[in-house]
Amino acid sequence: MTVASVTTDINIGPFKIPSNAQNMIMNNYADRNKISIELVIPEPMMSRSLATLQWIHNDRKLSLVILSSIYQLPDEGNKISEIINNMSEVNFHFAIEGLNGKGGDFLHKCIEEAKKFMKISMIDSTKTKWSELYEIKKNFN
Amino acid sequence: MDTVNEINSGKGYAIVKIENLENFIQLRKNFIKNLNINSNEDEDIDIVREKIAKMNKSEINKAMINLLKFNNLSEIILNSFPKLVKQLCGEELLIQRRATVIMNVPGKGQAKQWPHYELMSGISPFTYVIWIPMHDLEENSGVYFVELEKSLELIKKEEAQGLVNGPTVLNMMSDQKPVPLKFGEAIIFNPFVLHGNIQFKSNLARIAYNVRFQSFKKPILQKNTDYLKYYKLN
Ligand SMILES: [Fe+2]
Repeated sequence: MTVASVTTDINIGPFKIPSNAQNMIMNNYADRNKISIELVIPEPMMSRSLATLQWIHNDRKLSLVILSSIYQLPDEGNKISEIINNMSEVNFHFAIEGLNGKGGDFLHKCIEEAKKFMKISMIDSTKTKWSELYEIKKNFN
Repeated sequence: MDTVNEINSGKGYAIVKIENLENFIQLRKNFIKNLNINSNEDEDIDIVREKIAKMNKSEINKAMINLLKFNNLSEIILNSFPKLVKQLCGEELLIQRRATVIMNVPGKGQAKQWPHYELMSGISPFTYVIWIPMHDLEENSGVYFVELEKSLELIKKEEAQGLVNGPTVLNMMSDQKPVPLKFGEAIIFNPFVLHGNIQFKSNLARIAYNVRFQSFKKPILQKNTDYLKYYKLN
């Protein structure tokens, strides 16, 4: 039974987090929650299927997995069902959101939440000014 | 002016009564129990406040960690104001994942909160904040607010000087008068309103919650799943 953390592509939903920073986030999370990480799994960039993680799980039987964010979970039908079927016994932790749990319902809920957030429009703070933010609010309909 | 307009475009804040006081009293009981400081849930809140006032920093930290178990605090607080929250934002919300608990111990090293806009943290302009004390507030122990028009003027003035939260804002602290509140009342304000607190004298700690929320249908700014979660009012 192995405890693993997983690094992924730098683009994580709306965030841009280099993999060394992902490690810092997960290590700090593990520290705060008295979890010791035994294995660091690097997923390839430009992939959101967590295939390496599942392949290693088949071999090593992971008990607990830390990811930086729920945005790293797969967002497409068959990839979602694959991870849910393969890893329903594994405890998942998401450091940035501070969420943890296991099983299909839990993972589904996390995936749905990430999808919901992806639909929300975002104000680009690099393209606005303090004094405009009130106008944006006032004129929104 | 009605409360919604007052908060959006009037003073920028309003004192409101808890709609569902039973709910909130139960919350306070759970809070006391979860603190884990040898208090039963029916203990008088002032006794709890006295105990907290005598605790050192690490004891307070421990109590704060105990309170982390309390992970649906945001929902409970919002459900104490269902009508107003719905008027402001509709039923589908983005709410702060974990409401903030503030335990302010008076005396030396008292946590002062310098003047700031909530917007500073990267929450959306469409956010509202509820600030709610767990007991009647002693004189000067609450939060002061600078009315919206004046706050916006300051934002513009600072922006013209290339500043955000510069000396003009930071030097405002001295002559501010905190809003007095009784248990059962709260303040709801918009993120453009400048606010803070000043030093106060008391033998009791001040305990308050605050929680941020916005409509799910309005844009977000920098805060995302790190800070917010989806919630539908029931
Ligand atoms: Fe504040």
